[in-house]
Amino acid sequence: MLACVSSATLTGALGQSVSVEVHVSNGLPGFTIVGLPDAAVRESRDRVRAALLSSGLPWPLRRVTVNLAPSGVRKGGAGLDLAVAVGVLVATGQLPPDCANALAFCGELGLNGALRHVPGMIALADATAPLELVVPLCDAREASLVRGDAVHGVSSLAELAQILRARADWPAIPPAQPAPPPPDIPDLADVRGQPFGRHALEVAAAGRHHLLMVGPPGSGKTMLAERLPGLLPPLTPAESLTVTRVHSAAGRPLPDGVLVSHPPFRAPHHSASLVALVGGGSWSLRPGEISLATHGVLFLDEMGEFPVAALEALRQPLEEGVIRVSRAGGTVAFPAQFLLAAAMNPCPCGEGVFDGACRCTDADRARYTRRLSAPLLDRFDLVVPLARPDPDELLADQPGEATAVSAARVAAARARAAARGAAGAAEPPLHPKAAGLLAAKLRQRALTARGLHKVARVARTVADLVGAEQVDEEHISDALCLRTARQVVTR
Amino acid sequence: MTAAQGNRGLPEEAYAAALASVPQVGPATLRLLLASDAPSAAWSRSSFPGDVARIWQRHEEKGIEVCWHGGPGYPARLENDPDAPAVLFCQGDPCAVSTHPTVALVGTRSPTRYGIGVAAQFGADLAALGVSVVSGLALGIDGAAHEGATASGAPPIAVVAGGLDDPYPRRNARLWARVAEQGAVYSESPAGVRTEKWRFPVRNRLLAMLSDVVVVVESRHRGGALYTVEAAAARGIPVGAVPGSIRSPTSEGTNGLLADGCFPVCGVDDIVTALALRGVLLPGGAVGAAGAGPGSGAGPDAEPGGGAEYTGPDRALFEALSSDPVSLDHLARVTGMELPALCGGLERLARDGVARDIGGWWERT
Repeated sequence: MLACVSSATLTGALGQSVSVEVHVSNGLPGFTIVGLPDAAVRESRDRVRAALLSSGLPWPLRRVTVNLAPSGVRKGGAGLDLAVAVGVLVATGQLPPDCANALAFCGELGLNGALRHVPGMIALADATAPLELVVPLCDAREASLVRGDAVHGVSSLAELAQILRARADWPAIPPAQPAPPPPDIPDLADVRGQPFGRHALEVAAAGRHHLLMVGPPGSGKTMLAERLPGLLPPLTPAESLTVTRVHSAAGRPLPDGVLVSHPPFRAPHHSASLVALVGGGSWSLRPGEISLATHGVLFLDEMGEFPVAALEALRQPLEEGVIRVSRAGGTVAFPAQFLLAAAMNPCPCGEGVFDGACRCTDADRARYTRRLSAPLLDRFDLVVPLARPDPDELLADQPGEATAVSAARVAAARARAAARGAAGAAEPPLHPKAAGLLAAKLRQRALTARGLHKVARVARTVADLVGAEQVDEEHISDALCLRTARQVVTR
Repeated sequence: MTAAQGNRGLPEEAYAAALASVPQVGPATLRLLLASDAPSAAWSRSSFPGDVARIWQRHEEKGIEVCWHGGPGYPARLENDPDAPAVLFCQGDPCAVSTHPTVALVGTRSPTRYGIGVAAQFGADLAALGVSVVSGLALGIDGAAHEGATASGAPPIAVVAGGLDDPYPRRNARLWARVAEQGAVYSESPAGVRTEKWRFPVRNRLLAMLSDVVVVVESRHRGGALYTVEAAAARGIPVGAVPGSIRSPTSEGTNGLLADGCFPVCGVDDIVTALALRGVLLPGGAVGAAGAGPGSGAGPDAEPGGGAEYTGPDRALFEALSSDPVSLDHLARVTGMELPALCGGLERLARDGVARDIGGWWERT
């Protein structure tokens, strides 16, 4: 009267295979679940019982004990419902004893016996390999991203029982939909004026340079940043899978075509905690905003208002492209290869220092900018001053340049950089005048050694954007202009 | 009385510093104590606790000169003032304040670019004309005035609130050292005294006493600079104010002063005239020269001949720049240049010293 069924549960972003043991014996009728279940798992008793009865399958009036092994790992979520139900059916002899041996089951049961979506299906599918996996029909395509043909989808418990009794075939998984239309990214055509801000966006997108915009309220910082993902090229298949995995683990709804194919854009509010940004949690380690933004854009609006600890925590992932979250329960590495875009006001009142409208004391300003440490500022290749647009330009009927035009230049620049990298050729040397300008800046102490390196890199991107073979003086000047707001934030 | 043995052979200055260092002794008490007695006599009469030798050592180590009212080296222009400090501390040359005419340039600690530019220009022009610029070494207008005045010319004079051993604000420590080297930094506070709030109005009064003319460059409504104005007005020292935009909060105070009858300062010549009206003549009779001096209140057309050496796009760029900072967006719109070319042009102008950027905004220098 014992059945053993395979399933998986989610600990953080990772799946953990779970073996569900169901024992049915004589005794007072009852239903117990042991093995560190959380509230959702414990409540599966009622769901499983109702689902069986609704599906026309009798519930045993005997003592039912369910053990979730390994018993030391906490199990969460309703994804174990299906495995428990199958276990009960096998243990009571309603299904053949060996029908579930080569299968794993993940799915939540409704009281009517229907199967419901389970978050994190990709990680669960990984954890159940090499067994064939039975999931709700709506999750089948997500699971088959990583498991291919070893995935079966069913829509109800009754249907599953028929199949396991070998009286029906697995239903076909709905075919992948055509690639979804791009998500609703606002277009750069809405931005009037701001040639410098647009230029900075293009450079950031083309060279993956982290961007900090400094400007008064109304200078279009947020508007520009929201349009940055539109300039990035679509994700490659590998990137797409990484992003989908993280989004699946975080339980975020995936697009119709299941694979996330466009760079994500995440804009956490400045009240976000450190854990919300970098990921974590007490025992279920979940990806944070920086991982959800991987291969996309993380936008920190009002960067000066974020908790200092949260900002400093970004330093290591910015460097390594991965964040390792360690807790007593274990360590998880989440991908964190994001393009960081940030915006801040030049001072707490936002007006800056030039038009006399600023009412901040010097101490206020120092306190505001002190929140950004030098090492964090160093991660920004572009520190760009923005000004409020000219009223004439704002009121003009003529739309700005569209995202598509800009994105084409970005794609071309990236292609040039990639071709250079593929050819393995050494970087073409700087134009003598450009090298001279850099040397002069270094001598004047206007640049540090690290700054010099960064300026040279940004200048290379600028040259790629305009299609120049060699970095010349103008490109260096441009790169220098793209970091002039450092003065404001390092006062 | 172990201290008394160590005190043997200490100069009078040591006792003056010790008296000023007693926390219970305020400016008025100090004046009273030293009214009739020499510092050493006043010290032994009043039996305050304190180690004179140590206090003196601290001043000597930091190169702080001490003079007292009636003693040697005490600035002559303070002698007849009823509120003059009884003990004065000085870094640099204590006589610096007596050699040249003095003009105070004061104003708000959070000025606009306009105020900073005007203060620096007046500072430089006055120093070049042989006028000592007096200011408070505070952030903002004070600092800008001294930045200009320490370039060359007459010795700069600073009057600060706290002890001379601890530059405050720290950010101006380098400027402080330069002023002490070229001129003098005065304070009523002995070494070791923290800069407390009440000392600023006292500082501002001393600043007014040391000046022949007081000019307020930029001040908010009820700004601290107005203490200096009050003290100057009480002593009949002429006060000028630089007019500003009626929309700028940093010019509310100065425009108010103009309404109250202060003389308007639209250039260095106005200051020179005010000096001349007081009977203070510039060394070398530079009054005439002042008229032809460097342009003041520089507007976009201040140097109509400037930039002649530039041609083509650089010329257009030069003309698009003015002494008011403008954004790159503005320059791109006005000149119609592509950004890399625009940045390249600005870099060339900056290298020639005719343009500079302030946090991403560009202005003509």
